[in-house]
Amino acid sequence: MKVTSLTGLLVLLAMILPVKSGEKPEFLPQLTSTDALSVAEQVDSLLDASFVEQGVTPTAPAHDEDFLRRVTLDLAGRIPTPAELTRFRQAGEAGKRPLVIDKLLETDEYAATWASYWREVIYSRATESRSRRSQGIFQKWMTEQLSENRPWDEITIDLLTATGDTQVEGSTGFLFAHGGDPAELAGETSRIFLGIQIQCANCHDHPYDQWKRQDFHELAAFFPRVRVRSQKDGDKRTFIVESADKERGRGGNFDPQRVFKFLDRDRDGKLTAEEAQRNKQFGKRFARVIEIGDKDGDGALSQAEIKNLPMPQQGQGRGTPEYFMPDLDNPSEPGTKTEPVFFVDEASVPFGTKDLDRRSSLADAMTSPENPWFARAFVNRVWAEMVGQGFYTPIDDMGPERVAQQQEVLDTLAAGFVANAYDIKWLFRTIANTRAYQRSVQTEDEEPLPAFAAMTPTRLRGDQIYNSIAQVLGGMTDAGPNLAQGKGMGMRGMSGPERQRAAFGQLFNYDPSTPQADIVGSIPQALFMMNSQVTNAASGKGQLKRLLKSTDNDSLALKAIYVRVLSRKPTDAELSICQEHITDVEDRTEAYENILWSLMNSSEFLTKR
Amino acid sequence: MHVTRHEQVGLTRRGVSRRSFLHAVSAGAVAAGTLSFRDLLSLQAAELRKQGRSMILLWMAGGPSQFETFDPKPDHENGGQTEAIATSVPGIRIANGWEKTAQVMDDIALIRSMTNKEGNHQRATYQIHTGYVPSGSVKHPSFASSIAKQISSEDLDLPAFVSVGQTEGAGFLGVEYEPFVVQSPGEMPRNVAATVTNDRVKQRLGLFSKLEGEFAERGGRDIVESQRQLYNKTANLVLSEQTKAFDISEEPDELKAAYGDTEFGRGCLLARRLVETGVSFVEVRKQGWDTHEDLYDRVSNLSAEVDPAYATLITDLKQRGLLEKTVVVWMGEFGRTPKITPRGGRNHYPRAFNLALAGGGIKGGQIIGSTTDDGSAVEDRPVSVPDLLCSLCHSLDVNPRHEHISPLGRPMKIVDGGEVVSELFA
Repeated sequence: MKVTSLTGLLVLLAMILPVKSGEKPEFLPQLTSTDALSVAEQVDSLLDASFVEQGVTPTAPAHDEDFLRRVTLDLAGRIPTPAELTRFRQAGEAGKRPLVIDKLLETDEYAATWASYWREVIYSRATESRSRRSQGIFQKWMTEQLSENRPWDEITIDLLTATGDTQVEGSTGFLFAHGGDPAELAGETSRIFLGIQIQCANCHDHPYDQWKRQDFHELAAFFPRVRVRSQKDGDKRTFIVESADKERGRGGNFDPQRVFKFLDRDRDGKLTAEEAQRNKQFGKRFARVIEIGDKDGDGALSQAEIKNLPMPQQGQGRGTPEYFMPDLDNPSEPGTKTEPVFFVDEASVPFGTKDLDRRSSLADAMTSPENPWFARAFVNRVWAEMVGQGFYTPIDDMGPERVAQQQEVLDTLAAGFVANAYDIKWLFRTIANTRAYQRSVQTEDEEPLPAFAAMTPTRLRGDQIYNSIAQVLGGMTDAGPNLAQGKGMGMRGMSGPERQRAAFGQLFNYDPSTPQADIVGSIPQALFMMNSQVTNAASGKGQLKRLLKSTDNDSLALKAIYVRVLSRKPTDAELSICQEHITDVEDRTEAYENILWSLMNSSEFLTKR
Repeated sequence: MHVTRHEQVGLTRRGVSRRSFLHAVSAGAVAAGTLSFRDLLSLQAAELRKQGRSMILLWMAGGPSQFETFDPKPDHENGGQTEAIATSVPGIRIANGWEKTAQVMDDIALIRSMTNKEGNHQRATYQIHTGYVPSGSVKHPSFASSIAKQISSEDLDLPAFVSVGQTEGAGFLGVEYEPFVVQSPGEMPRNVAATVTNDRVKQRLGLFSKLEGEFAERGGRDIVESQRQLYNKTANLVLSEQTKAFDISEEPDELKAAYGDTEFGRGCLLARRLVETGVSFVEVRKQGWDTHEDLYDRVSNLSAEVDPAYATLITDLKQRGLLEKTVVVWMGEFGRTPKITPRGGRNHYPRAFNLALAGGGIKGGQIIGSTTDDGSAVEDRPVSVPDLLCSLCHSLDVNPRHEHISPLGRPMKIVDGGEVVSELFA
């Protein structure tokens, strides 16, 4: 569908909009019912049937303590407290899991932890490093959206159509993260919101991919008018995301003849500084232009000198009202002027369309229920984060040429997500209630099971580790002096605790789009856990001191420490290792400090199991 | 090179084992009891062959202009106002602002005919750091990590790859070859010093590794194994005397002044100390070369910091007899456009750019390749990124076609394609 006029554009919008009322598009399966629990049941039936066919038996359901730790980490970003564990264990069986899921979804922690997830998704790949100073503003905005449970399509539309001061409007975060660069924005828009890595086609066609280089650049053509402008207000510097719908005098359609005719008032064939002042922009830059272009050194510009002025040779897409697809053989040439076309449904807008119209029409086409990739991309991400494995791996590399595991399950969830008008909490509730989510981890002695027949343990995100340490220590106050040394972008104007969290994050955060297999700890992380004031703050004082005073019974004390740190009771083997250690060390406090240190440094503490 | 005698601490499932006699063997292999005495001897011999080879990468992030560094064009309008100065080698002229580097030109080989296709910072940086263009599906190990894996000595307690500033990681090569990132060069990195006595550290590590076994059996085997490797490496670092290398305070003031009291100067001095201690690969980053505007002011500030540090590094390595085994690379991700823009800057230009090499068997005092008078194209002897990496492998005595196997079973050469630039080596 090509649209060549503004009226055409309106028609196009009118065609897209009505579909958004939750009608089921063709590509998604029919659901018997669309409420969370029944979709969870449909998902499990599909998986069960597949496991029967493969002749495998999934692992048993996770114990209460494992389940509660898992779901609290996923939905509240921290480990459960000992009191929460006790309460959950003691509650009657019927319906307690769905109940705790609902309860966690209503906490402030739910919105905070997922806002930090999205902050890492966006900023881990930021190409404009100065954008990191607005991370906090973005996160605050995202927290509000999640807290209000705004639908995913509305959040996406906001992120793609934002304008304003990046220090005020959190929704500008995504556009600022790439400095408004059309090619970067095209790549990241497609990767994050559609799970399609079309940026691979930036430079050349891939023989095995459906979408070509042209498609990538047509997507970039929705963004050439996004401008990120630096603004100084006294001491404060900020960046403004805005539309640049007017010509900006450099590159683009700069016509030397016209400029000359307009400015050369005395018609002497020379432009002087005085004449140049007729055009404000040109006047401001005249000194600079003379420096570069005044070949005969007479302090004025002749027509020929103007014509020979060097033009910007790259980044033509930036700051010009239309996008130019670069010529790979001649990177110094302007390239081919390219019309915006959305590669999934071929929706397009004509040259000359205003910035916000361009971006809205793309956002609308992308979030349309007719676009299968939008719902799938979100479902795949959330499922992978919770169940430990995505339908597609890496989670942001889907597309028609990739093969999904259990495609039907993915599409069932996507259909439910569309039918529930992209209700984010609906999706969390559904996934958390599946048996697939609630299975135990596979132990060593069994044959490796296929995807989703067992829980896959995953490494916690920095934010979850931070919250869990705080939980163990009963607050992070002792950590202050050490953590706050961290220097970094985006910490200005933060409160002490926020600053600590940010400094910790610099060490422990990772890009959540990275496949789990590629996520490994680093030496600086291990050094932090081993030697920092934080883990050593647990020594001898506070919690531990009180605990040791309260009981001489090592078995009881050890149980309490295990429940606090690992949210479970110790095994008999662990109890005897610890008891032996207590005997060896002689000093009881020292021995317990060592035990607490060992548990906080353990791989289990850093893992969702 | 000084080698300190030290005690290696290995974490085993039964606790900590102390060995001060087996220097050349990985803690894991010994712990597993898989190596015979004969194996140990041959391993040691293999280590000796490669001993002491290392690389220092001085990374000019943002893409330095060739016209304002080592390929000035004072006779062409594209050359702008930059002048060419004489060097210690007759016939070789470089840009003004690099007066100290000019004095050590006998040790430097310039490549003026680098050519590449990636004009985006991240892609080009990734490509030159890994040898592969970025792809959505594979995270390639960095070249530095591959090199560290090939040549690092088991004697070393420090990480084999240290970077001043963030850089590309080890990918599937694992924790052991991840870059150890230093943020403030010259100071002891944070948390390296233990807060309790070394005996207590060992006591804790012993308990820790026994307790880890339980989670391994309950389905966390891979995670536990990766944590064990990490803690092995980290414990060796914490307990080692070699960490003194990070602290430059004991260096003579005169030498510190020669490197320059700047972040980059301290980074270069740190690089020398690390290489001297046996670190295989050190990267030192200098940001700010993305000169889309205010070219001359910005480059002159940059060269004022980089020139003395770079020249002093070469002199210092040479005086200590380290230059022969240490290849020093000065480069960025691409060059800059021949034409100066109306904003007084130069844009990205991968088609023709330059770099400088020294040490590691490189024959100094020569120029490889050239560009056309206007600087827009390579005139002769084009050198590609794989050619460069193959040449570096040659200097480091590493086979560029050595294959690492990715977790999915896909073999991946350290360098795919390219040939050694033989003129570089005497």
